[in-house]
Amino acid sequence: MQQWDYDGPILEIDNLSISFFTRLGEIPAVMDFSCVVEQGKAVGLVGESGCGKSTVALGVMQDLGVNGKIVGGSIKFKGRELNTMTDEELRHLRGSEIAMIYQEPMASLNPAMKIGKQLMEVPMIHQQSSAEEAWELARQVVEDVRLPDAKRILNSYPHQLSGGQQQRIVIAMALMSKPALLILDEPTTALDVTVEAGIVDLVKGLGEKYGTSMLFISHNLGLILETCDDICVMYSGEAVEVGPIENVFDRMRHPYTQALFRSIPLPGADKQSRPLVSIPGNFPLPHERPSGCNFGPRCNYYEQGRCNQGDITMPALADDPNHASRCLKVSEIDWGHPPAAAVQTQSNKIGKLVLKVDNLRKYYEVAASALFGGGDTRVVKANESISFEAHESETLAIVGESGCGKSTLAKVLLGLETASEGSVNLLGKDIQKTLIQDRDVDTVSSIQMVFQNPFDTLNPSMTVGRQIVRALEVFGIGASENERNNRMLELLDLVKLPREFAARKPRQLSGGQKQRVGIARAFAGNTQVMVADEPVSALDVSVQAAVTDLLMELQRDNKTTMLFISHDLSIVRYIADRVMVMYLGHVVEMGTTDQVFSPPYHPYTEALLSAVPIADTSVERKHIVLDGDIPSAMDPPPGCPFQSRCQHKQQVPDNLCERELPPMKHMAEHHDLRCHLSDDFLASMIPVIQLAN
Amino acid sequence: MESLSSLQIALGVLAQLLPVWVGLGITLSLSMYYRPRLGLYGHLFDSRVGTIGLILVLFWVLTALFADLIITHDPLAQISGMKNKRPGFPVRGMEGAFYLLGGDNLARDIFSRVIMGSRTVLSIAPAATIFAFMVGITLGLPAGYRSGRLDTILSFLSNLVLAFPVILLFFLLVTPEIRSTGVPIYLAAVLFLFPIILFVVLVQSRFYTQPTKRNIYVSLVLVIGFWAYSGLAFNMDPLGVFYMEPNLLNIFVSVVFVNAPTVFRIVRGLTLDIKTRDYVAAAETRGEGPWYIMLWEILPNARGPLIVDFCLRIGYITILLGTLGFFGLGVSPESPDWGMTINEGRKLLSIYPHLAIPPALALMSLVLGLNLLADGLREQSLKD
Repeated sequence: MQQWDYDGPILEIDNLSISFFTRLGEIPAVMDFSCVVEQGKAVGLVGESGCGKSTVALGVMQDLGVNGKIVGGSIKFKGRELNTMTDEELRHLRGSEIAMIYQEPMASLNPAMKIGKQLMEVPMIHQQSSAEEAWELARQVVEDVRLPDAKRILNSYPHQLSGGQQQRIVIAMALMSKPALLILDEPTTALDVTVEAGIVDLVKGLGEKYGTSMLFISHNLGLILETCDDICVMYSGEAVEVGPIENVFDRMRHPYTQALFRSIPLPGADKQSRPLVSIPGNFPLPHERPSGCNFGPRCNYYEQGRCNQGDITMPALADDPNHASRCLKVSEIDWGHPPAAAVQTQSNKIGKLVLKVDNLRKYYEVAASALFGGGDTRVVKANESISFEAHESETLAIVGESGCGKSTLAKVLLGLETASEGSVNLLGKDIQKTLIQDRDVDTVSSIQMVFQNPFDTLNPSMTVGRQIVRALEVFGIGASENERNNRMLELLDLVKLPREFAARKPRQLSGGQKQRVGIARAFAGNTQVMVADEPVSALDVSVQAAVTDLLMELQRDNKTTMLFISHDLSIVRYIADRVMVMYLGHVVEMGTTDQVFSPPYHPYTEALLSAVPIADTSVERKHIVLDGDIPSAMDPPPGCPFQSRCQHKQQVPDNLCERELPPMKHMAEHHDLRCHLSDDFLASMIPVIQLAN
Repeated sequence: MESLSSLQIALGVLAQLLPVWVGLGITLSLSMYYRPRLGLYGHLFDSRVGTIGLILVLFWVLTALFADLIITHDPLAQISGMKNKRPGFPVRGMEGAFYLLGGDNLARDIFSRVIMGSRTVLSIAPAATIFAFMVGITLGLPAGYRSGRLDTILSFLSNLVLAFPVILLFFLLVTPEIRSTGVPIYLAAVLFLFPIILFVVLVQSRFYTQPTKRNIYVSLVLVIGFWAYSGLAFNMDPLGVFYMEPNLLNIFVSVVFVNAPTVFRIVRGLTLDIKTRDYVAAAETRGEGPWYIMLWEILPNARGPLIVDFCLRIGYITILLGTLGFFGLGVSPESPDWGMTINEGRKLLSIYPHLAIPPALALMSLVLGLNLLADGLREQSLKD
């Protein structure tokens, strides 16, 4: 089919409604959704999980599965109605005019086919190109997505590439036919931050180079700000606010958008003086939506008898015709009014030494072949000479990307693994060589963990109450069943869950609620050290703030030491007292939060800081994109672990970085970093993040 | 007296099965009424395949239950003059009595034999499946959870058993020479130990924090367990409640023996997957013992695939029992075992097809029902 010429907008969605038909009857997933994507522009679709943003994308692709159906409205692509097209016509369109990129790169590639072959299929099917032409085009596109050594890549299988490279290949495949519209569904969520920065950089360039229009779906406001021209905020199946990106970010006109921005940690938020404001309540289930405004029950400006009645339309703003909001009270609310002063808190004084880790090493031996033993054994150096101290009531953040050894460190602390060398001292007891089954109950209960994935942290076939009671039983708390039950109910109160939840199964709880149960369970004993492994990264933005608050509150009340493992620097900046940055098993920088977040930086910290997208138009970031991926811990580069990706390596003479591991350099009180760069150079660094006036 | 017409035979069979229809009606209407509260079983009715399977299986279960009320004649009684008679033939010397599905080679009523045969199948197949599951679970959980050398050894042994031709193994186990060496008894002694181990560990790991409760439960399990054990494995039950005929024991043990390795592999695979979940890590970090994690954290979450396999496996064992009967390795030479009846009928199939067809249809419909039920369960457990 020929690509026809067309001048109007690439994609016009008008009053689209999509429903799923299930056991419970018709469930509307998207209602009355309108949106326009102009030629060469990118539109961002933001919302929490379950708000219908991916359903819109699938609706555009006309791929809603057996249960889904478009029940109203129209989707026009280049002026042609997609809803009435035949399967034959749609097949020509998909992959050639409209391409889609999904979250999981590995799931989008055929693991049994070489990359080159998969890429060549696109022009061979859609343009009937010859194999040679297709191969040439594939090579060119692979270079365009900035992958080195295109020939080798084309001849490899998907599993031989890293996650970041795979996602670049998926983007390359989408670009093979030079589509007019590219739909990206959370394209970087599965990737590390520094890798994400590279992909985002690439995607931004695409619009300019190929003139491709984009529909960018994400839950990350910072990412949308970076990549898109227009934004559409969705809540519970409806668009609640649309407009040009600056207008929406700077002059938001819907209470949900406002609440969303107030619940994410932007630079300037502070856990004592300017705490985050979480959105009260829960996201409504699709079949339990309130009448009138969907956001009504959680809204600060809710007015009984008005907001809960009838359909609410989405008119353009009087002073800004491109900007529309689905709120009845848009002209009455004082939008400039600062949030009601949240309760300011005083954190506890940092107390006595609780945990001291000295020169800890953890090596794994991996047999080359598991089946026949023997052969070479390779050593994975998961942790290299880690030393740190943590005190009572202190939050120490451990920052790093996947493979940096933070999870191994947690395992050693908790006794799931023993250290190869060095010592771990918890409350005066050396525990580095004691596995958990040999630890006494007090030690076990004094160091506990909160896990990352809320959907995995609770046993799905046991009631919530039973799981907490079990922890109490194991820790020997309570003399009788009754006492334990009462203590369990108190713990539910403590994490602000209703007591009825004790009888529920985990699947009846939302992600945030499950995470609260996980926290209650971890605080069941006499917990002194809490290891929190990315406790909020899998949660929706509006819930993150509430769970973070809860963690800090429990910490204040119990004087707990918290080891907060995360790759999200915004939340680390908000919550941590001290920060430890790890890369490939080494601690590369350690200091108080202010010291780490301001120069002098370790080059890796600098890159991490610049990679995190920030949802604030007034912030200017230095732009650093690292080359390549994180090396494997099996095969670390010689010398400094970061030298293979370091942006300042040429500043150090004699290839010193490649030969020698830099020593820990003492910069200031509490502030150390591991780098060969000269003091002068370090001193001349400028801050990565600056607030424009 | 006139023979019955086809219509009369059909009506006669339906009328004889009246207790089954009543039972089916009550069970299904109760299930439909309480459907929203029955979890997976309730969802089963959303799938047509699952519902049909359930009805077929329920039909045979109820038939076995009410067999005494349904049969028209003693399944072992031979009535002279009834040899190989057509379906619907009147019984000589008995007013108003008919052989509804005809008589067999030894002049016995085929209808009654088929009905009674369901008892043999439905008492052995599910029990053998349960035992195979308990053996497979007790070995599969540690193999998957601990992995390493234990896993290597157990997997090797299970492959060894699986690699051996099943029918040959059965012939070996039932031949008098092997039986006289006592091998089946030893095998039973080992296999029947697993359920006791499983239940003791189950209770111990759960209640070790409350010693009094633990002691009561563990001793209860041990007493009942070894009581049943002594009766079933060695026929030495002091009270004479638990008892198994030597012939039955042979078949039972062999069926458990060849099915346990497959269950072992399924459980091991599921364990390998589930042990990577965070809730298992959470249990480890609060210092739970390995058996608690295996039995209370992993096993309940592996139940979906296990239930499906359970249904399939009952069907498979039903076929296996049929095959064994067919080869003359049945429970007892006279019993109305379906497989054996088919074999007897096979010899006269070209002259008297009615001898082999009813038991064959019975076997087929039960296995079909079990397979459809498994399909329905799988389909529904994958949803939401």
